[in-house]
Amino acid sequence: MAVYKRRYNAYTGALTREWSRFFVLTRYAFADLFKSRFFVILLILCFIPCLFFAGYIFVANSKTVQLFMQLRGNDLFKVESEYFIFMLMAQTQAAFLLNCWVGPVLISGDLTNGALPLFLSRPFSRADYVLGKLSVLGLLLSAITWIPCLLLFGLEAGLAKDGWIWPHLWMVVPIVMCSAIWILMLSLISLAVSAWIKLRIVATGIIFITFFIPAGIGEMFNAIMGTIWGRLLNFSYVFQLIVSHGFREESGRLARRGWNEIPIPAAWGSLIFVCVVSLFILNARLRARETVRG
Amino acid sequence: MMTPTIELDGLEVKLGGRTILHGLTGVLKSRAIGLLGPNGAGKSTLINTLLGFHVPSKGSVRVLGLDSHSNSKALRSLVGYMPENDAFISKMSGVRFVRYMAEISGLPSEFAMERAHEAFVYVGLGEARYRPVGTYSLGMKQLAKLAQAIAHGPKVLILDEPTNGMDPPARKRLIELIREIREASDICLLLSSHLLRDVEETCDEVLILRNGKIASICNLVEERQANRKFLELETLGAEATFTSALESLGCECAIFSGGRIKVVMPDSVEIREVFKVAADRGVQIRRMNHRRDSLEDIFLSAMEQTGAPDGRL
Repeated sequence: MAVYKRRYNAYTGALTREWSRFFVLTRYAFADLFKSRFFVILLILCFIPCLFFAGYIFVANSKTVQLFMQLRGNDLFKVESEYFIFMLMAQTQAAFLLNCWVGPVLISGDLTNGALPLFLSRPFSRADYVLGKLSVLGLLLSAITWIPCLLLFGLEAGLAKDGWIWPHLWMVVPIVMCSAIWILMLSLISLAVSAWIKLRIVATGIIFITFFIPAGIGEMFNAIMGTIWGRLLNFSYVFQLIVSHGFREESGRLARRGWNEIPIPAAWGSLIFVCVVSLFILNARLRARETVRG
Repeated sequence: MMTPTIELDGLEVKLGGRTILHGLTGVLKSRAIGLLGPNGAGKSTLINTLLGFHVPSKGSVRVLGLDSHSNSKALRSLVGYMPENDAFISKMSGVRFVRYMAEISGLPSEFAMERAHEAFVYVGLGEARYRPVGTYSLGMKQLAKLAQAIAHGPKVLILDEPTNGMDPPARKRLIELIREIREASDICLLLSSHLLRDVEETCDEVLILRNGKIASICNLVEERQANRKFLELETLGAEATFTSALESLGCECAIFSGGRIKVVMPDSVEIREVFKVAADRGVQIRRMNHRRDSLEDIFLSAMEQTGAPDGRL
């Protein structure tokens, strides 16, 4: 089918591996995202807190700077679990904002003009499609949450020397696990909303509502029923609880407010439940739109 | 022995508890198959089942020997699909859209790019390939859909109402393209259309559906070869003697009001003999329409046989 010949020829060349084709969606989505100046600015802004956290580590490990700044007491700049909790919370909030901008357009663009059957009439399943879209948010949100956390963990390990890494190595697990559940939940909620709502502004609003309205309902439920279980609908709180527990901060901020009564398995269960419901909603929508109705 | 293009083996498909396809059985061997039927006959359901979107509740359907359900991924890797409705990503440029689809079909990025350009030029949209697909006219969108269906070089091309919304020259060009694609490669074609002419011009075999059942499977090539000649005459004069004289030549005649006569002529009888008979009997032939049995006749006959007496859709 060469252009100058203007005649049809079948393709007989090599094909890519089937398992890797989901990444085509990710690649094209990234290409589209990076065309937006607003997205690039937002992404850069998401990295700015990391610079401050890196600066903190530098100051904590530099006697010269501490002397220069006339700081006294070695305990003032400590890089312990509380530092990583603080960083993780800040970065996951940034991830939430970035997700609200990126997530709503990922699927709606394919559904608006019925392109989904074109994807799925190829050797490409619904699961591949979701995986491809999920990878966009997965990679992006990872880049601003656990990856910088681990890099700063590595920086601290390098600067602190004297075997700091070994007693703190366990913190790698909560950094990755807590970020993973938050990223998964955000991504699935965004994709589910994107599959149903065409307009970005409305979809973004609904993502916000998903976090704030259930939290309010949960508190109302608590007030009426005199219980604490309504807090399971406050996903931000549930996430904080998981992070605190993951970093072994049993007497942290939540404990001081008496907000640590919810058992940790219930907290994990709550976030996993949100993921499953989002996946179910997403699947139902994609399934309904995968065929052309004649 | 050549593998049949489509084998239907008691195929039954239920959607929402309602049976849409009722035990379809048949073998279609031609390389270009037309799918005809009125609205709601089950054409789109059959296409969706071929693509593995619907699971048969009974029976099976195989395309080039691959079961649509158990081998759906292998089957889809052979297929290029042009859906009936709008199917595009509006903000993408045409060539990027086609490249994207080709990459999902498994073409490496650089080949996908090359093929996307070739496909666009081939369908006649070379000049518009960098414009967003959302800005295309309806006819251009149809061509863009065709480009994405052929870019990865499928073995089976499924076209669902390809000429929908196209003006006559664009339709003609698209039909020519489809014929060209068919002739230039060993691609198998399944074309679903309401327009009998589209099917007649591109296909060798026709599957006619009505109410989810097979109304007819007809090999157009054989039909064209074995076809009889028809004459539609409008006469003035002694019709009865004229028709009996024609019948003595071996023709079959049917007389209608207003001197209209339909004559089925055997191959041995030439038209000039009809003129001779008319002259001998003093009958004026005011109008004569000479034609062969068309797909329309086959379609209407299939509709009549399955319970629509006047062949209405």
